[in-house]
Amino acid sequence: MAVKGFAWAGEPLEPLSKEQEQLVHERSLDVLQRIGVSTTNDRTLKIMAEQGQDVDFEERRIRFDPAFVEQQIALGRGYYTLGARDPENDLVLDGRHGYISSEGCLAEIYDPAIGDRRYSSKEDLEAMTRLSDALPQIAFLWQPVSANDKIVPVRPMHETHAQWSNTTKHIQQMTAVDPFNARGILEMATVVAGSAEALRERPLISNFQCAISPLHWDDGPVDAIELLGQAGIPVGLVSMPLLAATSPASVAGTLVLANAEILSGMVIQQTLVPGAPTFYTCYATTMDMNSGALNNGWGPEDLTFEIAGGQMARRYGVPSSSGILATGAKQSDWQAGMQTAFSAFEKAVSPSDMLSGAGSYNGSAVFSAVQMILDCEVSDIAMRWAEGYSFDAEQLAVEVIEHVGPGGHFLGEPHTLQHMRDFWRSKVMNRLTWEDWDAAGRPEPWKAAEAEVQRILAEHEPEPLPEDVTKELDRIMDAYEAEAMENMEDD
Amino acid sequence: MATEEQMYEQLNKGLNDGDEAKSLEATHWLVDNGVNPVEILEEGMAKAMFILGERWKRGEVFLPEVVVSAEVFKKCNAIVEPELAKMGEAKASSLVVMLTVKGDLHDLGKNMVGAMLKTSGFEVHDLGKDVPTDKVIAAVEELKPAIVGMSALLTTTVPQQQVVIKALKKNGLRDKVKVMVGGAPVTQEWADQIGADGYAPSAPEAVEMAKQLIGKA
Amino acid sequence: MATAKPHAYPQRYKIDVISDEQVKAVHQASLDVLERVGCTTSNDMLLKVLADHGQRVDFEEKRFFLDPAYVEKMVAQIPRNFTMGARNPENALKVTGEYSWVSTDGCPAQIIDLDTKDRRYSNKQDMSDVAKVADALPQVGILWQSVSANDEIVPVRPMHETHAMFPSTSKHIMQMTACDEFNARGLIEMGTAIAGSAESLRENPIFSNFQCVISPFHWDGDPVDAMKLFAEHGIPIGICSMPMMAATAPASVAGLVTLANAEILSGFTIMQTLVPGSPNFYISYASDLDMNSGAMNPAWGPEGLFAECAASAMARFYDVASVKSTMGTGSLQSDWTAGVQNSFSAMSSLLVGGDFFTGIGSLHSDSIYSLMGLVLDSEIMEIMFEWANGYAFDEEALAVGTIEHVGPGGHFLGEDHTLTHMRDFFRSRVMNRQTWEDWDAAGRPDPRIAAEAEVRRILSEHEPDPLPEDLEKELDKIMETYEAEARENEDDD
Repeated sequence: MAVKGFAWAGEPLEPLSKEQEQLVHERSLDVLQRIGVSTTNDRTLKIMAEQGQDVDFEERRIRFDPAFVEQQIALGRGYYTLGARDPENDLVLDGRHGYISSEGCLAEIYDPAIGDRRYSSKEDLEAMTRLSDALPQIAFLWQPVSANDKIVPVRPMHETHAQWSNTTKHIQQMTAVDPFNARGILEMATVVAGSAEALRERPLISNFQCAISPLHWDDGPVDAIELLGQAGIPVGLVSMPLLAATSPASVAGTLVLANAEILSGMVIQQTLVPGAPTFYTCYATTMDMNSGALNNGWGPEDLTFEIAGGQMARRYGVPSSSGILATGAKQSDWQAGMQTAFSAFEKAVSPSDMLSGAGSYNGSAVFSAVQMILDCEVSDIAMRWAEGYSFDAEQLAVEVIEHVGPGGHFLGEPHTLQHMRDFWRSKVMNRLTWEDWDAAGRPEPWKAAEAEVQRILAEHEPEPLPEDVTKELDRIMDAYEAEAMENMEDD
Repeated sequence: MATEEQMYEQLNKGLNDGDEAKSLEATHWLVDNGVNPVEILEEGMAKAMFILGERWKRGEVFLPEVVVSAEVFKKCNAIVEPELAKMGEAKASSLVVMLTVKGDLHDLGKNMVGAMLKTSGFEVHDLGKDVPTDKVIAAVEELKPAIVGMSALLTTTVPQQQVVIKALKKNGLRDKVKVMVGGAPVTQEWADQIGADGYAPSAPEAVEMAKQLIGKA
Repeated sequence: MATAKPHAYPQRYKIDVISDEQVKAVHQASLDVLERVGCTTSNDMLLKVLADHGQRVDFEEKRFFLDPAYVEKMVAQIPRNFTMGARNPENALKVTGEYSWVSTDGCPAQIIDLDTKDRRYSNKQDMSDVAKVADALPQVGILWQSVSANDEIVPVRPMHETHAMFPSTSKHIMQMTACDEFNARGLIEMGTAIAGSAESLRENPIFSNFQCVISPFHWDGDPVDAMKLFAEHGIPIGICSMPMMAATAPASVAGLVTLANAEILSGFTIMQTLVPGSPNFYISYASDLDMNSGAMNPAWGPEGLFAECAASAMARFYDVASVKSTMGTGSLQSDWTAGVQNSFSAMSSLLVGGDFFTGIGSLHSDSIYSLMGLVLDSEIMEIMFEWANGYAFDEEALAVGTIEHVGPGGHFLGEDHTLTHMRDFFRSRVMNRQTWEDWDAAGRPDPRIAAEAEVRRILSEHEPDPLPEDLEKELDKIMETYEAEARENEDDD
């Protein structure tokens, strides 16, 4: 089944005016010049010093020359295609289309069997990957849940290992933050692609690494950026500041900080691997000022952040990844509907290339298969709306209007019979009359979604991997697991 | 040479597909070849419409298709009916007089129910929209229907349903006909309050209700 | 707490979802249809006036056909800008195309009972309650008759519905149930009493009105008389088309938009012929149909949503004020579906623009009103209000100094800048903010619970701008006079 995405023919909606966009850019360069970033990656400190940047080895801080920043980020300009095991699922990124992934990597999953959340396992991850594979609105995958039953040092590899045989879509590996796991995942991807060259041409995986707000780059992620970049794997640079906690208590200030962090990551990436495929990822969010809880998907500020990142990325000429479909709700209720609908509809007119992700509750803390079905329904409406409708003579239907005339009806017209199946139909929304709905115990849409999850998990079988590939992937997994065990004992 | 079985099949398929030519051809063939008209009606047409109704309930068939099939059914019926009359076969009264009440021009719901009733073998006499009460009384006196079905969409026209029921009483007709009411603002509560015999919130349920009222359910 | 000043939502984006060529195609098709198909009407006065103005009229069929050039000339007469007044002039709306205002929905016959949580028929007191809650919500700028006064006799029910609102709100009222000359006259009397004189009602029309064509292409007699009388007294009149795709309009989005547009143009032409230069606005409530059951599906899926957005582009093309249909969930309760449908609709309104976003607070495709729904929908509008307004990007907001002060690896929690601004952000009145554990222990409440508490709080605390006692008496007297006249007429029948 081909994947779906947002395709908006108009100019993307921009939440910032051109002046505001320019201000964010300029102030980010100021921040990088005057404040800079700190990093525990010594190699980066050394290389940046060699490149003439102001490096304080004592404080492990780099201050960047604005011209150098502009020069380095220009090396990463350009769009590319994300490969998939099934080439039909390749995603051509062009700054005009938006594709949705599953949410990841949540430590808990909502289990309908117990009506409650619980910790997730590798088996859950396999099932959720298979579910994602069956849903056309899910165009690529994150690792929906953590493989909590696997040892930490190779957990990211397990999380990817669980996915290869359960989907033919592009996998965005977003849990590997060290060179050990990055190398192992690269080995697996090479086996599935057939060769290092084939993987470079059609990268079956992508990855991203996060700055630690404010303005810090940890050692492992920088090594992973370099290692994956050298293999031609697209690696995104992520900033995820929390307004008023790890960024200023203002939308503008948070965007300045996020932009500075992302640009710093790109400069490091493009200096280590010039021309490496990159993407811009702003996951700025808000918190509850009272409790301090994370509020992603909450309100107007988050909705602004989710499309402001795309706007900045278009300025720099690189693909972007943004948040979508998050909700603070703990169940598929009015709040979940409202928050996810806002987030999806906004992307209809302002799509980032990659949008993550579907299927969560409680501020992206609990994965929910039920909510993923509902998120796909929401996304489907927004995607269909964004696609627009034909206004040709057949669709304008003047002759039909004339034929029916004043006071008539169109129900039995041949035009109606011909077109009545052209329209969108809901899979989960209630269509009962009040009386029938009342008699049925006033069911909510999540009930229909729950049945859909069960149906898909019972029926959907992703295209299998060749047996030798599966064996090779298992072998790599075992080898890395053994190495990790050994390292653990050494510690 | 076609067989009776093939033609029943064609009639069934024709009515389910809303294919007028095929349905009429089959009906004509069956009549011309001396098949008992009662059988054509029950084994052919009514059965086909029952199947259509079942498909509709499952969500496979859409309302515009039901409307078209109902029109085809009516045309087939026009072929079979004279044959029935020749046989002196008195058709069980399942005539429904449908109308949208005085002051209300919104007759879509009434049209939908009318179409659905036809698919279930009811004969429907449609008085139209914005129908004055005296016209309803005259129709009931003249046509002697089993059921009067009234729709109203506006909150300001719904009370007209009560006016009609009162007029039926006044003219001594209330015991001779069952009254069904419907429309967006109408509920069972309202139906009970004005002394209607039946109310249904949707077209298919209206058909079920009509069957119950004439003891056919 | 006093009347909440209405939010003026910025028309910031004004996205046209259809291209200029598509707009022109719809316009041309609409003119063709009005010329070739025309409209029927039971209003003899209208037929005569249109014939006098050189339009082709078939008196036998009671049908008129409109000359394209005449339609364009009449539409061009409509003023773009006008004022929608209010009992409290501070709540008046300057309609210029720069801002939008949100109205409550109308006019369901049923309401969700606050105590039983079940639906029941509504009454005049319910109308008063809804008006009071809407008066307290800054997200609402315009009030419709949200529920029927089913406990009043039909011939004066529209007057009762409005009579119930005057003491409960000082915001603009869009009267949408009065569709005959009798109620129109009564309402003008009430409006004149409140405004002080006929002249001040004309300057400060405390209510507006709209009338609907019956799709396809029929103008009933009474609405035409009513809108003529209203317009003669300076009341702004909306022309409303509410076709359903595949039932009362073609089974295509383009056909749906075209039919609605043609009908609205016919109404504009009627109005501008009868009362030249009177303020009119464009209202398209084009909706989907459930193709299986035939149920109406406003806000259900992408087609209805798109058609409503396209209508905003058409109104912009004619340079007239417009309603952008907003909300109207098909859901029977304030659940996930209601959240999705109403949020989609609300955001689409902010994206495409329109002067009036109507309307919020109903369930079940505008057939049941819910006070909890009203509060929840107002939350949706609050998010849209802040989102569309955007944020400051001055030096204080850009906060480079604060970022420098904190430096890499620090945090912003105790910064002066944070303490100064931490209350600037959106805070929900109804969403659940508990931890999973607390929420579970509390019986897993959903936002309806918080919304109900908010409704009860407003009903007990809110005090609308008081209506002067003598004015209240005068309104009661007008109401009684019309009620007596209506009863007399009824007896005559």
